[in-house]
Formats: sequence, structure tokens, C-alpha cells
Amino acid sequence: MHFAYPPRKSSNPPPFLPRSSRISTLRRNRLKLVAIAGLSIIFLLWLFSGSKTKASPQRIITGTPPVVIVTAFEEKAVGAEFIRNAKSNRREYAKMHGYKTHLVSSGDYDLNGSPLSWAKVPAMRHAMAKYPNARFFWYLDQNSLIMNPDLKVEDYVMSARKLEASMIKDLPVVPPDSIIKTFSHLKGDDVSFVLTQDKEGLSAGSFIIRNGDWAEFFLDTWFDPLYRSYNFQKAETHALEHIVQWHPTILSKLAIVPQRLINAYSKSSQGEQYKEEDIVVRFPGCITGSQSECEEEAKRFLPQWQKAFGLS
Amino acid sequence: MSTAFTTSPAQSHHRRRSSTSGAAPPAVGYRVNRPNNLAQGSSRLLNPSNLSPIPGTPNTGNMPLSRSPSPIPGGGWSSPGLNINSSGQSSPATASFSGPNGSNVTWESARLKSQGVSGYPSFSTQNQGFFTRHMRRISRQLPTFQVSPDQYAEKDKPGRNKWNAPMLDRVRGVVARIGRKWKIRMLIAAIILFCYLLFWLTPLGYHYRRATWLGGGQKFVIILAANVGGGVMEWKGAREWAIERDSVRNKRKYVSRWGYDLEIIDMSTKKRYAHEWRESWEKVDSIRNSFRKYPKAEWVWWLDLNTFVMEPSYSLQDHIFNNLEKHIYRDINEYNPLNISHPLKGNYLDEASQNVQGDGNPGSVNLILPQDCSGFNLGSFFVRRSDWTDRLLDIWWDPVAYEQKHMEWEHKEQDALEQLYTTQPWIRKHTAFLPQRKINSFPNGACSDNGMDPRIHYNQNDRDFLVNMAGCEWGRDCWGEMYNFRELSYYLNRNPWERFKEDLIAVIWFKLTGQKVKL
Repeated sequence: MHFAYPPRKSSNPPPFLPRSSRISTLRRNRLKLVAIAGLSIIFLLWLFSGSKTKASPQRIITGTPPVVIVTAFEEKAVGAEFIRNAKSNRREYAKMHGYKTHLVSSGDYDLNGSPLSWAKVPAMRHAMAKYPNARFFWYLDQNSLIMNPDLKVEDYVMSARKLEASMIKDLPVVPPDSIIKTFSHLKGDDVSFVLTQDKEGLSAGSFIIRNGDWAEFFLDTWFDPLYRSYNFQKAETHALEHIVQWHPTILSKLAIVPQRLINAYSKSSQGEQYKEEDIVVRFPGCITGSQSECEEEAKRFLPQWQKAFGLS
Repeated sequence: MSTAFTTSPAQSHHRRRSSTSGAAPPAVGYRVNRPNNLAQGSSRLLNPSNLSPIPGTPNTGNMPLSRSPSPIPGGGWSSPGLNINSSGQSSPATASFSGPNGSNVTWESARLKSQGVSGYPSFSTQNQGFFTRHMRRISRQLPTFQVSPDQYAEKDKPGRNKWNAPMLDRVRGVVARIGRKWKIRMLIAAIILFCYLLFWLTPLGYHYRRATWLGGGQKFVIILAANVGGGVMEWKGAREWAIERDSVRNKRKYVSRWGYDLEIIDMSTKKRYAHEWRESWEKVDSIRNSFRKYPKAEWVWWLDLNTFVMEPSYSLQDHIFNNLEKHIYRDINEYNPLNISHPLKGNYLDEASQNVQGDGNPGSVNLILPQDCSGFNLGSFFVRRSDWTDRLLDIWWDPVAYEQKHMEWEHKEQDALEQLYTTQPWIRKHTAFLPQRKINSFPNGACSDNGMDPRIHYNQNDRDFLVNMAGCEWGRDCWGEMYNFRELSYYLNRNPWERFKEDLIAVIWFKLTGQKVKL
């Protein structure tokens, strides 16, 4: 057998080339080892990655402004003069403490034919949309005036310590004998809804809501068209009494505080009467049809609050 | 010239044994050679007289030895005619030549043998053929046979476990001869086998799939609404029992495969609702109880009784939840049989409430449900544990709403949910929809007014996950549908062996013989 000679080598060998890549510096089996290690790490990661279900996002509320004061005015019911006074009253108060106001007209919202007093609910919802970072929303009905500007709502009512001390526990929600009673063990921080009772039951004229998901749920539920169409005798107030009694998720966030804390009345016939140093005075029953009644009552308090605010 | 073993023990032959030596006598003991056993490595004969002759090899008894006799381990020489150690068998009936130790060779047999040998006067050299050439290597690996162990009992004592210890050595030898590369490959194969055994044949796999931080199966609870205790109000026939049995078994299998929890709700015990308004809102209480009972549950999957998991190999994680944002749609306009206007309009609403996608974050979805041809379908839906869900379950039934609407609400809780979704922004923001066939395919009989709809009806080519025989109790055959879907599910999920048998062998057989066979 004869095999062909191997081809002649070139007598001019090519010059040494630089290494084309860095990988060739690694020895082959080391590369293999690295690959195996990498794969096993990936496998372990996969094994222990678990099932990933995304956590529900928690919105962070920064607390600027701390409080938003919300009022829905009915011009036909109380008169322009009264409204001007009441608005400046709230604005002055807000200015003193860095609050914001959301003062609107009841007609701004489409209530679908239900009584105008329902407007307070969308007004609150509107304020929440407008000030998503506010900590508290205080709804103060149009027939009321802030009398003591030195009190800060978030400290004086809503601080956990104050709230725990002042909330009335184990109280029938609808007097005198509802079997549904306010919770007897409730932390101040868990309270999202503060309101008062007057002689007739829950008062929706002045209440404070803590901003958050619960507030949206509560306001939307309250504003349910089926409640509005049900012809509750006292419209939104009775709807409120209804949802508070039937739905524990609402009751468990609610605290009833002594009336004069945020809801003192000018007359004692319907509730506790206003005394000096109370934060607010309200004129219940002044909205009767004639515009002058609320103005009459407000006149009594005008010099007082203006003096307290240092305006006159 | 096959020589019987018993006939020629006296002629110990010195040929190397070959692997072809077949018949070992009953009393034969065997041993494995160890190289250091032997004084001379070339000869492996421990006790030549014990050896059985090899069929097919020339008997050398009367022949000139081609090799010198080998030394025996006990000392001395083994040579033909001088047989120290024999089987001791004697056959006095025949005239026999007895060796000094009573070994016997019948004259007749010796004669025959020599005749036979003379028939093959072969001169056998070594290294002829494969076996002779490789005999040593082959024979080294075989046990040696020892005819009478008692003779050497004392000597063998130290190595009593003749088999075990040398076996280890042999294994060691085998391992030593395997290349490094193959060793690594075999190690990997062994690890894979071990993992397979560990995860699929022991409960470890089940626990892996259950653990919240591994497989996450505990995060899912399936609630099956069944009438387990038997109907109280309605008579329950054999078909109803069968439906229930199949449905429950189906869910049980599914749940145990993926490590979920199954809660079977006995609807008959909920009859305390029967005289109240809240009848058919039991869903709410069941879901609430399940969240309480399974504290690790994150999602609850409600299933009606008339459902069947067609593809048990789909896990909920893979099928839906690992890529939630890809599967769900939050804009109801994508499929909107109820013509709900979306998003809600209202000058008082926040941005997310007025957005078709809500806040767009899949983490904020707390309710996932499918829609059929007539709106929401609560035959198969998911609810997540959250404050939002608590509120929904609380608000779902309300006396004022019910009082006004109960005449319109034919489907009670389903209509109530539609009402809530339509009117309440906070519900909309956290509700998402799944394409119906993802978790709730309908059989042809349901929603069939407008013919088949690829969004609604089951299609086996797409391997839909679950079938809901919705409304089968109204004029359709529930059990028939359930049975068909059960069989279809088995058929679709046959293992490879069954497929091979039924799709190949049976078909070939049918083509050849024209007969259908069941294998």
C-alpha cells in the first residue's frame, strides 16, 4: 500500500494571531463546569421560585393636605349671602391650618332625580379624587359655621388616642333600641368614619372620613342608586342608617363620638346645644323653604366667629 | 464426546475451564478466584479434581498432557490418577477402579472415553478460537466451582462470605474500569432517577407543590358546590348521584395532583336559607368560611357541580395566575353581552375609576370571572382574599336592593353582582374578566341560540381547561354530557403507551383484519 505524501507545509507560516475571544482562555472542561454550575443554579432558582402572585398594591397617602373640608351648598335653600359667609368661614379655617376646601354646589352632581341632600356623597368622592393625598375629609353641612379655629381636626378628633377616649362604645347605632351597636373594642387607627348622633339618630351633617380604599367603598355603597330610589324618608341619612346596620364591614370602621365634638346644634331641641369653645355650630332644621331662616340664625354667630378668626 | 461429570472425576484434567462448562453438580461449591489465592497466576485451578470436564473440549484424560500439571493450593500436585480429593461417589455395582481416596472410575466409562478421545486425536494448541484466547479473562469473572466444600472448610473459614466480599471487589473492579466520563454520566442519570423517585413516587412532590414558598398550591382553594348529603327537598336519582360522584372525583384528582385544597359545600345543609330572602346567596357564606378554614388560601375558585376539569395537567398557576395580566381583560368592552357602559362617567370620580383598565395593575384584581352569552357567569370564578373581597361579600346581599329587584333578578346573586358592577366604581376597579373558554367552556347545548361561538363553546382541539354544563338541568341530559366529557377527557389525556396501543396497533390490526380490538 502506498499512501500519498502529506501536503507540504507552507514554508511561510502565518504570523501568530491574537486570540479571537476571551472564552478560549478558559479551558474547555472548565467552561463545561461553569455551564453545568450555571444551569444547576437556574434550576434551583426555578425550583425555589415558588408561585408568584402579585401582592395587592398599597397606595401611600402622604397627608398633604391633612384635612379637606367639603361642603355642598344649595343656593335656593339658604341664600347667597349665607353661602358667601359660610364659604369664607371654611376658607379662613383651612388657611389657618394648611387645609384645603372643596366647596361645591349640590347641582354640580347628577343625582338622577333624588333629593339634593344626596349631593354630599359625590361631593366627598369628588374631593377624594381631587386630593388623593389628603389624610382626612371632613364633610360639614352648609347650615353650619366653624366657631373655634384653634382646634385642628386631625389632632382634636382624629388622633388615635383622642378617638379611643372619646368614641362611644356599645351604643345602639340607631336610638333608642337598635340591636346593632357600635364596637366595644376598636383601635383608634382602625376607625375610618367618625360621626355623631343627635336626638333622631345618626347625623349626616358633619362627619369625617379617613382617606383610603375603604372610603371609596363606603361612599360608593352609600351612593348606590337603589338606595336613592328607595324613597327613604330622610334620604341619605336613612340610607346611612341602613348600611351601617346591615353591613358589618362598615360598622367595624365607624366610631360615634359625642355630638358636641364636631356637631353642636344651635338649639337644644334636636340635639346637644352649642357651647363656647365648641368647634362647630350647626343650625338644624333651618332649611325649610324660606331662605332667610338660616341667615337669621347665622347672624347670631357671625360676630363671634369673625372675632375668633381675627377678621373684624 | 461429552463426558458425564460423574463418570470421569478421576481423570482430572488440566485444561483451563471454559465458560461453557454448564452442568455443575448439586454438591458443588464455588468460589471466586482472587489472584492472590494462587501460587501461580497462570493456573487458576484450586482443586483440579473438582473440575467438571468441559463438554466440547477434548478430554485429555488418557492423553499426553499438553501442559505440566498445576500445583494445587493445598500443596502437592494434581495429576491424573492421583486424586486426593474426589466426590467420594462410588458405584460398587460396576467393576470400578477406585483411586486411593475412593474416587471411582468405571471401567466402562473410561473405556468409552478413551474411545471417544481416540475418535478425535486432536492436537490442540492454545489460542485457538475466541474462547480459548479469551478464556482467562472470561473465566476470571466467573465464580469457581468447588465440588466438596467440606474438605476445605477449615481453610475457607476466614473467607466465609465467599460471595459477598469478592462481589464488592468485583464491583469495585468494574467501577474502576469505567471511564471518568461515563462515571459522571451515570452519576447524573442516577441523580435524575433519584429525583424522579423522590418527587413523583413519594409524597415529597405533593408537599413541594403545596408549600406556599415553593409550588404555592396552598394558595388555591377550590370550592365545589355539591349536594353531598343527598337532596333534602328533591329526590335524588341514580343519575344525580353519578353526576356528583364523577364531578367530585374529578376535582379530587385535580386537587391532589397540584396540591390545592378542595372544599365541598353541601348545599342541602344550607336550606336554612330556603325560607329567607337570602336563598342562593350561600356562595357568600361558603367563600367566607373557606377563607377562614384555609388561612393560607389566597384565591378561591368557585365551581358548580356540573363542571368537569378536562385538562388536569394544567395548573392554575401556569394556566392563569403566573401571567395574570396576559390572560385577563379589565375593559368589559372587549366582550360585553350586557352592554354595560364602561368606563363609568361621573364628574366626581377619580381617575382610576374612569379608566377602562382601572389602575392597570394586575395586583389590584380581586375578582376574576368569565362572561357567557348572557352576561356574568358565576359557575366558575375566582376571588382573592382581601379587604375588598370582605366588603364585596358583605355588600353582595342587601335587603333594600333585594326588595326592589328580586322580581327582576332571575339569577339572584349573579344579577346582584351585575348590578353592583354596573353602579359601583369601587367594584369595577378591582374586577377583571377571563375569556370564557379559559375556565368555563360551554357544551354545545348551552348558549346555543346563535349557533356555535368560538368564544363560548368547548373545542377539543384547543384543549379547553374546564367544561361547565351550565343549565343542563333545564331540559338537557346532565349525566349524558358529564359522561361524554369524562370519556373525552380520558381520551385526550391518554399516556403514550395507550396512544401507541390504540392509535397504532389497534388501527393496524383493524386495517389488516377488519376487526376492531380493544387493547
